Amino acid sequence: MASAKVDVVIVGGGASGILLAAKLGQAGKKVVILEMGPPLGLDDLVSSQIWSRRLKWGGVPVVSEGKNPVAHNFQSGWGLGGAAMHQFANWPRFHPEDFRVRTQYGRGLDWPISYADLRPYYDRIQKEVGLSGDHVAEVWRPAGDPYPMPPIRWFKQAELLAEGFRKVGMRTAPMPLAINSVSYNGRPACIYDGWCEAGCPTGALVNPQVTYLPIAKKAGVEIRTDAYVTRVLVNAKGDRASGVEYYDKARERREQHADVVVLSAFSASNPRILLNSVNDKHPQGLANSSGLVGHYVAAHITFSAFAMFEENTENHMGTSGAFGMSQDGYVKDSHPGFGSYTWTIGVAMKPNDVLGFANSRPQLFGSALHDFMKRASRGLARIGVQAEELPSAENRVVLSDRKDAYGFPLARVIHSLDENSMQLFNHIRAEGDRIVKATRAKETWTNPSPGLAHFLGGTVMGKSAKDSVADGYGRTHDVGNLFITGGGLFPTIAGVHPTFTLHALTLRTADYMAKNWGAIAV
Amino acid sequence: MSSVSRRMVLKGAALGALAYTVGGAEVLLSPREAHAQGLPLKVLTADERAALEALGETLLPGAKDAGLAHYVDQQLSVDPSESLLLARALGVMPPYADFYRAGLAGLDQSSRKAHGVKFAELAADKRAEFVEQIRQKVPEGWSGPPSPFFYFVSRGDAVDVYFGTVEGFERLGIPYMPHIIPIKRW
Ligand SMILES: Cc1cc2nc3c(=O)[nH]c(=O)nc-3n(C[C@H](O)[C@H](O)[C@H](O)COP(=O)(O)OP(=O)(O)OC[C@H]3O[C@@H](n4cnc5c(N)ncnc54)[C@H](O)[C@@H]3O)c2cc1C
Ligand code: SF4
Repeated sequence: MASAKVDVVIVGGGASGILLAAKLGQAGKKVVILEMGPPLGLDDLVSSQIWSRRLKWGGVPVVSEGKNPVAHNFQSGWGLGGAAMHQFANWPRFHPEDFRVRTQYGRGLDWPISYADLRPYYDRIQKEVGLSGDHVAEVWRPAGDPYPMPPIRWFKQAELLAEGFRKVGMRTAPMPLAINSVSYNGRPACIYDGWCEAGCPTGALVNPQVTYLPIAKKAGVEIRTDAYVTRVLVNAKGDRASGVEYYDKARERREQHADVVVLSAFSASNPRILLNSVNDKHPQGLANSSGLVGHYVAAHITFSAFAMFEENTENHMGTSGAFGMSQDGYVKDSHPGFGSYTWTIGVAMKPNDVLGFANSRPQLFGSALHDFMKRASRGLARIGVQAEELPSAENRVVLSDRKDAYGFPLARVIHSLDENSMQLFNHIRAEGDRIVKATRAKETWTNPSPGLAHFLGGTVMGKSAKDSVADGYGRTHDVGNLFITGGGLFPTIAGVHPTFTLHALTLRTADYMAKNWGAIAV
Repeated sequence: MSSVSRRMVLKGAALGALAYTVGGAEVLLSPREAHAQGLPLKVLTADERAALEALGETLLPGAKDAGLAHYVDQQLSVDPSESLLLARALGVMPPYADFYRAGLAGLDQSSRKAHGVKFAELAADKRAEFVEQIRQKVPEGWSGPPSPFFYFVSRGDAVDVYFGTVEGFERLGIPYMPHIIPIKRW
């Protein structure tokens, strides 16, 4: 069954999809969002790490393989709001060199756009949604408007850890956070209870439900939840997208036709949908003349170091985002292992779940675990890292032999860290060890092996159809009315969290689409 | 899952309790209450329950009475897309019951191989020794998910029911400070 044709159909009701819908709706376009997950709202954000798992991926399974499999389910979300419903809101900018790694260093890939192209959009986004930070203390920060809010409050944990950085000669600054340090645009200030991962229902944290969703709704955007998109449909010639196929809650097959199709369904689903959209004109999948759909998947290399203080670190206070940062390791070739990295300094912690007290010492159990939990709840402190992994075509999303209920192959993500990444990790681990040892804590320890955060790439942007899937606006090279948004577009991933950048990129796409509508939607 | 029971679970989310069946009717209870009332399990067998409780009690004494088996079992009875289990966040392939069944069978099989009895029949000190082994390396006779990963997930479940609750925070002297409170303590 087909619904009435619209101007734009957006697949995925998460951060980038809702932002784009809001802007195009405001530009007068008739927009429909198809979101696979349930119609979550702010009142679903129960303050509990256990209940927070309802926000994690609950769609068709994603098969994760390789030496270092990406933690897809932990990194993604579903339901209205997407992963951004429970993000931690660390929002630093990329640096100018992050956009030209190939040109400047002869490694990795280049972006088809520069920092100068994106800067106005960073500035607009931070003003629209609200960011807290200190642009002066953040000495590494590229040119940009000052943050619209002062930094969030530091609790004891942050002070104690920052002392360690100072003692080893490293500089620190407040982490720029998409969290209100004061009330902003009618949304209240944070109260530092640390429930961000379970979702912030007050509106203190930037979450699509409190930023662009109300704007989208007001602009008449139609949102259909429980709408699982399986394929992009094309015209008879095969050169234009005509809409998408999806299955509704009653498992009925439906079609939504549109002048423009946008995939905003995160880095596993976007390539999967393209690869599943095979037809006689596109035997390798849609928008895949380069053969690169699914390739160059990358993740941030993560690491934690811990310190147990005698003092009360007040570690139950703060946000899931970090208090502070250091980018003294950001220069990509200034240390063993090529790539940028950012230290994160101190976070609010809970007893349970992946990042809780108990998992900071996973080898402890029995009465030793009880003892540890008591001490950790007073004295534990943590620093972490987000480090750059260089793109490798070997890291990829392909179609699995396993199929969903409708016979479509699942996404299979293959990911391993190479030697360079391990060198970088070893350097970071040694530095982290020095930092926590330099604090006044009596007991310190470090994670022995790398973790992974975020899930980026797979539909990378570039200058031509020879080396990439989409252009600098996320418009696919092969199909002029098919766009992609989100971190899947990133050819290189920098040494910082991705979501500020993917907001800026999506806003740029929205401007471009609105201005060039006639040429795109012909 | 019917829309009625789905609503119950969602309402349970606000209460912090889970939907259990008592005398044919669905009621909201904490796993601790379900355990104390001796409610039958829906998915796990008696042997699987014994193994899970023995493992949970070794990993975190107190987890059994906090309702570990009732929590896991109730969660295995709901659609994976509604699941609150740590296994979901860690990317375990649904149905999650397969994961627990295989892991618990592996635990009993390898315990039999090493000690001649099921895990739950081992003395407390032997259980701890055995857990220390499976934590580090897959033992002989083990089948199912790798034992270090099964250890990690089961330990996470035990920590969830014992410390991840309003009551658990109180035990540690940490203020819970909820925005939306799981009202009923569990
Ligand atoms: C725990 C956690 C902490 C994080 N912390 C940070 C942080 O501190 N800083 C930072 O920069 N970033 C952080 N992130 C990442 C951030 O949330 C993402 O970068 C951002 O949400 C991605 O936006 P998106 O629009 O690409 O995808 P999403 O926001 O995930 O939206 C994608 C949507 O598409 C839907 N979808 C998928 N497949 C289909 C389909 N086939 N049909 C229909 N709909 C579909 C999904 O259900 C989902 O709702 C964090 C993420 C998590 C999970
Ligand atoms: S700590 Fe702040 S941002 Fe996080 S959930 Fe609480 S009020 Fe919201």
